[in-house]
Amino acid sequence: MDVTVNGSPVPATPETTLDQLVRDDLDLTGTKVVCGTGVCGACTVLVDATPTLSCVTPCATVDGRNITTVEGLGGDHPVQRAFAVEDALQCGYCTPGMVVAAASFVDRWRAEHGDTPPHRDEVTAALAGHLCRCGAYPGIIAAVTAACTGRYDPHRPLSPAPRTEAPAKVTGQARYTTDIRLPNQQVGVIVRSPHAHARIEGIKAPADVPLVRLRSEGATVRYVGQPVAAVAAPTDVEARRRAAEVSVQYTPLPAVLTEEQARAEDAPQVYPEGRQRKRAPLSSEAPQGPVPWTGNLRGPAGMSWRPTAAARRTAATGPDSGVLVTGSYTTSAQTHTPFEPHCCVAHWETNGTVRLYVSTQSVRRLARAVARRWELPVERVRVHSDHVGGGFGAKAGLTSDVIAAVDLARHTGTPVRVTLSRREELTDGGHRPATRIDLALATDAEGGLSGLTMDSYGSGGVSVGSNAATLARFVYGHAPRRLRDYDVLTHHPPATPFRGPGGPPMTWALEQAVDEAAYSLGVDPLDLRRRWDGNPKRQRLYDWAGRLPSWRDRPTRGSRPGRLRRGVGLACANWLYLLDPATRVELSVDDGLLVARTATQDIGTGSRTVLVNTLATELGLPSERIRVEVGDSAHTHGPAAIGSCSTPSLAPAAADAARRLRRALNTPTDAPVRLDTATAQGVSVVGRRRRDRGGYVTPFPVDGVAIGRGFAGAVLVTQVEVDTRLGTIRPLRVDCGISAGRIHAERLARNQCEGGVIQGVGYALYEQRTVDPTSGTVLSTNLDDYQIPGIADTPEIDVHFHTDGWDHVRGGGVGLGEVSTVAVAASIGNAVHNATGWRPRSTPILPEQVLHGLEEQS
Amino acid sequence: MNPTRTTELDEHEGGDAVAAARDARRAHPDAEFRAGGIDTTSRQVLNRASGPFVDLADIADLRGLHPPRDGQPAWVGATTTLAELHSDPHIRTSYPGLAAAVAEIATPEVRSRATIGGNLLQRNRCPYYRSPDFDCHQTGADQCPAHEAGAASSLLVNLGPCVAPHPSTIALALLAHDATVLVDPEGERSVPELLGDGTDPTHDHQLAAHEILTGVRLPAPPAQECAAYHRLTRRSTAEWPLVETLVRLGIPAPADQEGTRPRAPATIRWARVAVGGVARVPLRLRSVEDALLDRPASAETVQAAAGLAGTTDTPCQTLVRASVLEALERAMGEHPHS
Repeated sequence: MDVTVNGSPVPATPETTLDQLVRDDLDLTGTKVVCGTGVCGACTVLVDATPTLSCVTPCATVDGRNITTVEGLGGDHPVQRAFAVEDALQCGYCTPGMVVAAASFVDRWRAEHGDTPPHRDEVTAALAGHLCRCGAYPGIIAAVTAACTGRYDPHRPLSPAPRTEAPAKVTGQARYTTDIRLPNQQVGVIVRSPHAHARIEGIKAPADVPLVRLRSEGATVRYVGQPVAAVAAPTDVEARRRAAEVSVQYTPLPAVLTEEQARAEDAPQVYPEGRQRKRAPLSSEAPQGPVPWTGNLRGPAGMSWRPTAAARRTAATGPDSGVLVTGSYTTSAQTHTPFEPHCCVAHWETNGTVRLYVSTQSVRRLARAVARRWELPVERVRVHSDHVGGGFGAKAGLTSDVIAAVDLARHTGTPVRVTLSRREELTDGGHRPATRIDLALATDAEGGLSGLTMDSYGSGGVSVGSNAATLARFVYGHAPRRLRDYDVLTHHPPATPFRGPGGPPMTWALEQAVDEAAYSLGVDPLDLRRRWDGNPKRQRLYDWAGRLPSWRDRPTRGSRPGRLRRGVGLACANWLYLLDPATRVELSVDDGLLVARTATQDIGTGSRTVLVNTLATELGLPSERIRVEVGDSAHTHGPAAIGSCSTPSLAPAAADAARRLRRALNTPTDAPVRLDTATAQGVSVVGRRRRDRGGYVTPFPVDGVAIGRGFAGAVLVTQVEVDTRLGTIRPLRVDCGISAGRIHAERLARNQCEGGVIQGVGYALYEQRTVDPTSGTVLSTNLDDYQIPGIADTPEIDVHFHTDGWDHVRGGGVGLGEVSTVAVAASIGNAVHNATGWRPRSTPILPEQVLHGLEEQS
Repeated sequence: MNPTRTTELDEHEGGDAVAAARDARRAHPDAEFRAGGIDTTSRQVLNRASGPFVDLADIADLRGLHPPRDGQPAWVGATTTLAELHSDPHIRTSYPGLAAAVAEIATPEVRSRATIGGNLLQRNRCPYYRSPDFDCHQTGADQCPAHEAGAASSLLVNLGPCVAPHPSTIALALLAHDATVLVDPEGERSVPELLGDGTDPTHDHQLAAHEILTGVRLPAPPAQECAAYHRLTRRSTAEWPLVETLVRLGIPAPADQEGTRPRAPATIRWARVAVGGVARVPLRLRSVEDALLDRPASAETVQAAAGLAGTTDTPCQTLVRASVLEALERAMGEHPHS
């Protein structure tokens, strides 16, 4: 049988799916596969002009038809131009499928309606089958709407794309790790534990199966899905068959699969020994001091301040006390779900170098970790990561895909690629711990905060280090507080740091409690925060929020009758300012071009663009004369994409490099540099991230990261509509005020914050990781069962930047990726309360809970 | 993905492609029929389908749509896609409840490939069935891990050892339309006959291995029908429903009362109220239907009737009653005199 792909006839086998045909047989890797089950739309191609899910379309069903992939759109389709200019993307992994479907919609729309823009609902209905984990939906809606008006038609002049690599991403030319094809590359598959707790007695495979052991015989497995071994084969199918031939003998051991089981007397211990406890994986990025353990309960950790006073003041109301607010708040675990799964291609080259292509947030750290584990000099390890399809914290370390690929590549002598399936990704790819937070908050007679206690029980499976309560140390002044973080260990997969680790659950509890205190005191919730919050930058955001029509005109709590009730909620966020003080940027002049290199990576947040913008501004160069090379561990040191530290590390280092280049080229500060001269050719300088005025909070960086002075802030004002009949909640509008200083890439920063809001909406309303209580097997392992926000769930989002207050920071600004997501769920909780008078206590807020809550109330 | 081979269809004597498909299926006891391929292919990823597949998509006899004419039923071929069904103007006017339901199934990409037959015969969405790590009644074992984990509590009615709700919105719609399915080599079956009573935990439908669902027959539309579909999901679109309801009400216009006096409320002469996603099979809610019959088409009537859905005080029942009320109100809103 034959099909025609982008105009050329190609043979196809009936049982090959269309995605395999285009990606594997034709090397048209623009088409991406994310869910593999027809849910997310990333793999969309056109079949005779109809958007079609290639991952669930066997070639047998499209015999003789015309297939168009993103590469076949030509690169100049109005939708592609619109996506680039409107910045309708971040990591870019869903972009090709999105662009193909949008192109079909726009062509149809214009054939029927000319240049009339479609209503937003029409755009979201057309793209209802396309998920974007970064949450670039506002830009996508804007781009598609604009393309329908003809504004991006090829004959119209085009303003430059704000994102440096956008043209590569909208055309499918951007190569991700999953797209790497080396000669003789094999496929590796990980064999995983089917037991929640067991001892490995033996691992056997037929002699001809290339097998590596990831756990040794006699070792313990502690969760279903834990990597045990890995095999390689030339093809996916063969590798999976071989994996099934591996026989692992286990002696099952008693497991603890619920918090109750974990905390029962005589419960089996996840980590009975001290050395195991020390080596447990971490679910936050905070350095861990010594913490007590009692069986499966680790803790308390935390940073209390006058805890005895806090406990006394929150224990009971006395003659000189004001109100006492107590409550228990829970959050469900949230799975990172990067659209590009964890993936590594490893190759031991003949010269002794290990070359790795990895979907990672940290090329540099990873190279060092690989060097350590395989006992190599670090210069013998080279990590490449050209484009990264999202991370959100899950791709910062030496993950199982890398270990398996490196071991298999050494064993087989060929390059080996290990890609987690969506099922593996949603099981063992990482998640934010579930939490229960018990808090008590007391005010004095004047309504000042007098004491706070917060006990957080993090449930991160076999991981430790949940840090929600600790973060309450840094907000609302210096009233006494007792903050205790506990981990409840179970035989579940480990949690990993997730965008703002600890922030969303802590804020979910605290900001709702502050709201409740305001109602009890009869004070405007905004005024109460103004009174309690010592952060001057957030004070300016309160000024801004107070002027917002949505806040000014908000209804009084639960005052409205009727079925659909709108409410407005406010919540604020606080986040640490982190940076990598060792960041360097190297500039060299090559053939009239300025080449900037640093060993960082762009996971969709815009590190390339920040470098280009900074250099263009500092040197007076047009951006097309600047080429940025990141995603290579061999470059000079650059930051990991963690802790919102990329921009405040990179921009000052680039500015410093620019100054040095000016000096090297003897160009005065007010003149643009000239690169096309004989003296410029070959000139090379290295810029450093110069120290902030006043230095840092930490005397020396830990793992490359220092804590800078000052906190980033956010204030969220969110309007929701609660359907009191059906129990559903619709976020209508979010005003997101951010205090992070100078913005180095305006549109991209907005896009980041919009995505942070949308992930927060998912956290509040939809995302629920489910686990079988009997076996410990994760159940939410596909994108039907693990529900992330869709395009129609996008509220109107307005991002406001307050840029003052960071003069002591080089470059004048700090990161904002995390602070933008931390308070979203809490603002939704407060809005639901404002709308209905009922306060949600657990995420996600399910319809049956809403209905139950409203019924109880009435 | 498994390297399964498509069974080639030998041309059957007389050029009967349907019979050829049936013979091909007979020759391969493990084979599955395949139309759009969405469910079969996504199950392959989960080791819940291995082929070989007998493709039905190109069989002309299975495709197409005859609108109802002169009081005769409509016919929809089994491999007609959901998008084709929805875009047909006759379907929209004659079967508004069905059309409304189809519009909310899955996503535009799915609707453009998914077929009526495939939607009816797709396998269930139970996360245990869809996980290769579990064995259950559906995969040949004698257990239901979902039941052990308490999944029955999310059902309105627990009909049997398997607690997976039936996934087909089309089945719900056909049930509410008293429609039948046509089967090759012979037979015409009602939805309860096609799906069974929900007590069989091993299959999601009751077609024999060699039988092919060739099409759907929809009774000629009654006059003065008001219909609505409601799908309760957490997100705006593209989600399997927590509960879905299809309501059809026969509300003849009240006898024309010329003049200015307020009209007497119209009366509900017949009613179909069916819910899906909350039991092994879609359910007609007879108690709700009975409470509507011969009552005035008023807010009080539907409110009282919706309150009769279900018999156990569970969160699921709360959601079902909400959805039923919503669908009933929407259907009433379709009435020209409402």
